[in-house]
Amino acid sequence: MPETSEIRRQKDSQSNPQGEEIRIGVYTCHCGGNISDVVRCEKVAKVLSEMPNVVVSRTHMAMCSDAGQAMVEEDIRERGVNRVVIGACAPSLHEQTFRRTVARAGLNPYLYYHVCLREQDSWVSGGDCEGATEKAIRLMAAGIAKARHLKALDPIRLDAKQRALVIGGGVAGLRSAWDIARRGIQVTLIEKSPFLGGRMAQLETTFPAGETARELLHDLIERVLAHPNVTVHTRAELVGVRGYVGDFHVQIRRQSRGVSDDFAQAQAEAAIAACPVEVPDEFNYGLTTRKAIYRAYPGCTPATPAIDWENCTLCGKCLQVNGQGIDLENKPETFEINVGAVVVATGFRPYEPRQGEYGYGEFPEVVTLPQLIRLLALAGESEGLEWNGHPVRNIAMIHCVGSRQIEGIHEPQPDGQVNDYCSRVCCTATLHLANELRGRFPNVNVFDVYQDIRTYGRGHEDYYTQASANMVRFLRFHAEEPPEVVPAPDGDSCPVLVKIKDYLTWGEEIEVPVDLVVLAVGIMPRPIDDLIKMLKISPGTDRFLLEVHPKLRPVETAVPGIVLAGTAQGPMNIQESCAAASAAAAKVAVLLGQGLVELEPFVARVDPERCRGSGQCVEVCCYEDAISLQTFSVNGREVQRAVVTPANCTGCGACVSACPNRAIDVQGWTLEQYEAMVDAIAADLPASEVGV
Amino acid sequence: MASDKLRVDALVVGGGIAGMQSALDLADQGYQVALVEKEASIGGKMIALSKVFPTLDCCSCITTPKMSAVAHHRNIHLLTYCEVQSIRENGGGFVAQVLKKPRYVNEDLCTGCRQCEYACPIDLPDPFDRGYGAHRAIRVPFSTAVPQIAVLDIENCLLCGKCEQVCPVSAVDFTQTPQQLEIEAGSIVLATGYEVTPRDAKKEYGGGKLPNVIDALFMERLLAPTGPYGHVLRPGDGKEPESIAYVQCAGSRDQTLGVPYCSRVCCMYAIKQAMLISGALPLADVTIYYMDIRTFGKGYEQFYQNAKAMGIEFVKGKVARITEDENQNPIVRVELIDEGSRVVERTHDLVVLSVGMLPRYNPQPLYGVPVADDGFVEVPSPNISPCVTDRPGIFVTGTAAGPMDIVDSIMTAGAAASEAAAYLRARKSASSVSTTTGKERELVYA
Ligand SMILES: Cc1cc2nc3c(=O)[nH]c(=O)nc-3n(C[C@H](O)[C@H](O)[C@H](O)COP(=O)(O)OP(=O)(O)OC[C@H]3O[C@@H](n4cnc5c(N)ncnc54)[C@H](O)[C@@H]3O)c2cc1C
Ligand SMILES: Cc1cc2nc3c(=O)[nH]c(=O)nc-3n(C[C@H](O)[C@H](O)[C@H](O)COP(=O)(O)OP(=O)(O)OC[C@H]3O[C@@H](n4cnc5c(N)ncnc54)[C@H](O)[C@@H]3O)c2cc1C
Ligand code: SF4
Repeated sequence: MPETSEIRRQKDSQSNPQGEEIRIGVYTCHCGGNISDVVRCEKVAKVLSEMPNVVVSRTHMAMCSDAGQAMVEEDIRERGVNRVVIGACAPSLHEQTFRRTVARAGLNPYLYYHVCLREQDSWVSGGDCEGATEKAIRLMAAGIAKARHLKALDPIRLDAKQRALVIGGGVAGLRSAWDIARRGIQVTLIEKSPFLGGRMAQLETTFPAGETARELLHDLIERVLAHPNVTVHTRAELVGVRGYVGDFHVQIRRQSRGVSDDFAQAQAEAAIAACPVEVPDEFNYGLTTRKAIYRAYPGCTPATPAIDWENCTLCGKCLQVNGQGIDLENKPETFEINVGAVVVATGFRPYEPRQGEYGYGEFPEVVTLPQLIRLLALAGESEGLEWNGHPVRNIAMIHCVGSRQIEGIHEPQPDGQVNDYCSRVCCTATLHLANELRGRFPNVNVFDVYQDIRTYGRGHEDYYTQASANMVRFLRFHAEEPPEVVPAPDGDSCPVLVKIKDYLTWGEEIEVPVDLVVLAVGIMPRPIDDLIKMLKISPGTDRFLLEVHPKLRPVETAVPGIVLAGTAQGPMNIQESCAAASAAAAKVAVLLGQGLVELEPFVARVDPERCRGSGQCVEVCCYEDAISLQTFSVNGREVQRAVVTPANCTGCGACVSACPNRAIDVQGWTLEQYEAMVDAIAADLPASEVGV
Repeated sequence: MASDKLRVDALVVGGGIAGMQSALDLADQGYQVALVEKEASIGGKMIALSKVFPTLDCCSCITTPKMSAVAHHRNIHLLTYCEVQSIRENGGGFVAQVLKKPRYVNEDLCTGCRQCEYACPIDLPDPFDRGYGAHRAIRVPFSTAVPQIAVLDIENCLLCGKCEQVCPVSAVDFTQTPQQLEIEAGSIVLATGYEVTPRDAKKEYGGGKLPNVIDALFMERLLAPTGPYGHVLRPGDGKEPESIAYVQCAGSRDQTLGVPYCSRVCCMYAIKQAMLISGALPLADVTIYYMDIRTFGKGYEQFYQNAKAMGIEFVKGKVARITEDENQNPIVRVELIDEGSRVVERTHDLVVLSVGMLPRYNPQPLYGVPVADDGFVEVPSPNISPCVTDRPGIFVTGTAAGPMDIVDSIMTAGAAASEAAAYLRARKSASSVSTTTGKERELVYA
């Protein structure tokens, strides 16, 4: 049983040597005009220079530049500055930059305090220079007050598990897993469905190089499966997460496949044929049906069929073919693995048009672009194109369905929001298909109904040029006047009409009679609310998963150790999904490659002398294993004292407010520091400086 | 200072945003990296921009910290003002002969105080400001340059010796000569970036002769806080423009220029600049003449809609010709597609050409890495391996592999770092274990 004095000693060793003179360096950044256009930075600096303990007060065009940083380093080295306060952009951007600067000059990085003068002041002051300047002075004064109470801190260092979890077995997840494995780190990949490959498996030839989707995919899957560092679980989902970067404990639930891997090919075919259940086949987007024992598509991986537990009636017909190797009882198993980082690659779903949107669900002649891809694949080598029992001669393809929606014009999604983003892949995919249609069925007329053609990528514009050369006819609508799909009058040669106000021809109202309408539906994130909650990551306003910063930390989430890959983050094509996946793998390698991760030291800390063991802190804490009561001996008497496990503590401060004895503080954010800051913010400014 | 022989894991060629990010992503994994930049400072095109879409962060706020991180990283050897002259293969790795050009300033002594610059009597057009601003024959390249070391343009120097006299640390050295440096590297990342369409490329748009027709990169400088005039003024007569027009696809999607492709960033930067102009010149009208607005990235469409709501005028039209009136006001002759292709002439105070992206450097002769028809580095398997070139061990990132914006450049930078790291590991295990077919396959894919 440890003595409390021992804890006491540890605490003292971390606090500052007594009697050290506090010498604060204060810097007000112009942020290239972002701050200085509104805040009078020179005046701020002058007022601050007269505050106690401030030994230098300077301004700079860009503190984050090399020259700005060098200035701070020099002040630390040459002028004995031992606390640094910088007023600049949001701490999320450059707090880390300046901590590193301070550390380079030999100061403890936590003797730095970052004041936000841009997002909290200049950007929101509506051009009120006086008000913004006064606010800047007060904010900085509070920073200085805090700096007087800053103590040197050490980051929490933890071993990093040399394994990563990849969630999602689409092309992004696979590519990420392969890159991580090649980097010498173990990977576990979990895929929710029974088969690997995601949406890419449902494509045929792909833009921009005409490569065959499933060939590329199989090649990648083969490499992933062959890599000794990779473990793959299909039909597996995340059901629980504990821990933190470097040491996540993740719980995975895996459903039975129902069919064993050694089930012979021929028997599998017979068992599938024997199944009496017919359900819409999601692989063909409902254009065909499949059985309750099924393969996603011929040649899929794994090749072993799976039982669809939702639709299997347990009739046992498949068993009659050869019961050996089929087990009609789903025995889900849950197991836990320990990983250092998590890659979220849960992908997208095509937008599902509303009932009646452009006639979808109302007229059988209206299909979506993903459906058209499957339809053309199913048509095989046939000479003519047929749909719904009729030959197809005229096709209209309508862009931006479920994308680029505008409030007030488009009906909102069930969650009340409109999809105001561009889905990025549909334009080139549509033109790719238009060209294929014209090439395979020269008698079919294709009408392309668009707002803007966005063939932006390398090689994409060729599809547009080709489509024009292929006599694809373009019609252009304005967002405010979307086209309509209506039934053709009786006796018309085609079943439906597309009515459009065409801005390529004087805004003329045009009616195009067609046999098939293809809706170029957009990309939406998969519904992964449960996963988002478990991982404590956040979606953006577009509902895709949110990165910390698109340029500074493009694949990282706000939760350390959890990174993003592919279309879970936003619309991307295969190339972009793969680049993002490899970038995510690089981040994982940076995090885990060194075997050690560092966490911020802003966690709760108990003063054992003040603690009376009331246990109220333990009651209010929402995090597992973050704070607990332990028994100590004080002068031969056994007492209960609260103890914090730093790695599990998030520094939320709930315990601080619950403690009746003021025995707990969050390091780096102590009550003493807060009080000093509040006093400074509310203090009177020197009379000469107010309202000048 | 760098010795004349350096052995690293990876050689990154080009210090724009893509090269810097690749170098950082490799160095953070513990690999030794040499970053070779041919200019006197890293930063590439990005450091000259004003604010960047879609977040409208001030560009220095994103770029300078990365430049600083590169300069201070213990695993990165930064070699500016250097050019690779030859590459030879060496046991699956590479040996690069690098020429270190003379700065005529001692790098170890120079503190970047700029006394020499103030003393120098020669003014030259400053490429950083697209030739509109001036710099001295000896100067620190620009205010946020990394490293902060002066460089002397000997071709234009009078050898008057003023700089030598004022330099407080006696760093000016007219006797410097080029130096050779050998870098041994396990793999190479090409990040040589892009060039923009020359202003005189299109005769129909004035062939670079109309003073008030500028390119978008110069508008970036006009909008930057460190810009040449400190304000948006038209260069012809210094007047504050009241009506500004953007001509989209000026150098892209244009068969006559041999550039059939889309440059991918111009729609967004034009919208961005239009928004920034609305801030700088609240009374000015901004019109954007476009073929298609391609705001495809994350948050980009919303950016476009905001611009429309701010009153920026978007006109679908093909600009056939630009001329000028007697007051040097540009006249735009445009086919208004939304109005039945009616042709009109509209006069503006200033026209900005949304110039496209062209390949900057052909690595074929030196690196044996082929380029595609568009002149950018060829990527044989673009879908699955967007950073893998035709030559094992050499990877490509950023705009060297075709037009892309900063976000996409940074993504591919991470991807190239991943590829290079995997290649280095495979090479290491291949050299320790005798090569097997399996290993060879791994190398091919790597
Ligand atoms: C009509 C159409 C045509 C296209 N054509 C092209 C083209 O020609 N060229 C091109 O480059 N791109 C094309 N694309 C885009 C391309 O399909 C995507 O870029 C790519 O498939 C994205 O891959 P992903 O791995 O991000 O997502 P997905 O393919 O969706 O993969 C995600 C995977 O994660 C799994 N998953 C989801 N949630 C969970 C969970 N909670 N737990 C475990 N696993 C989970 C899913 O089952 C799935 O297997 C097209 C897209 C569409 C809609
Ligand atoms: C007017 C304009 C505005 C823009 N605005 C934005 C914006 O707001 N947001 C956005 O996301 N994107 C914007 N962009 C695009 C952005 O500039 C590019 O995406 C980005 O700069 C590309 O970076 P890079 O590293 O690939 O290339 P570069 O910046 O060109 O860097 C290449 C580097 O390599 C060096 N180099 C070249 N050849 C060699 C060699 N042989 N040896 C050694 N070094 C070499 C060069 O000197 C250079 O430093 C804009 C582009 C333009 C033209
Ligand atoms: S890619 Fe084309 S079709 Fe898709 S949303 Fe964007 S503009 Fe519309």
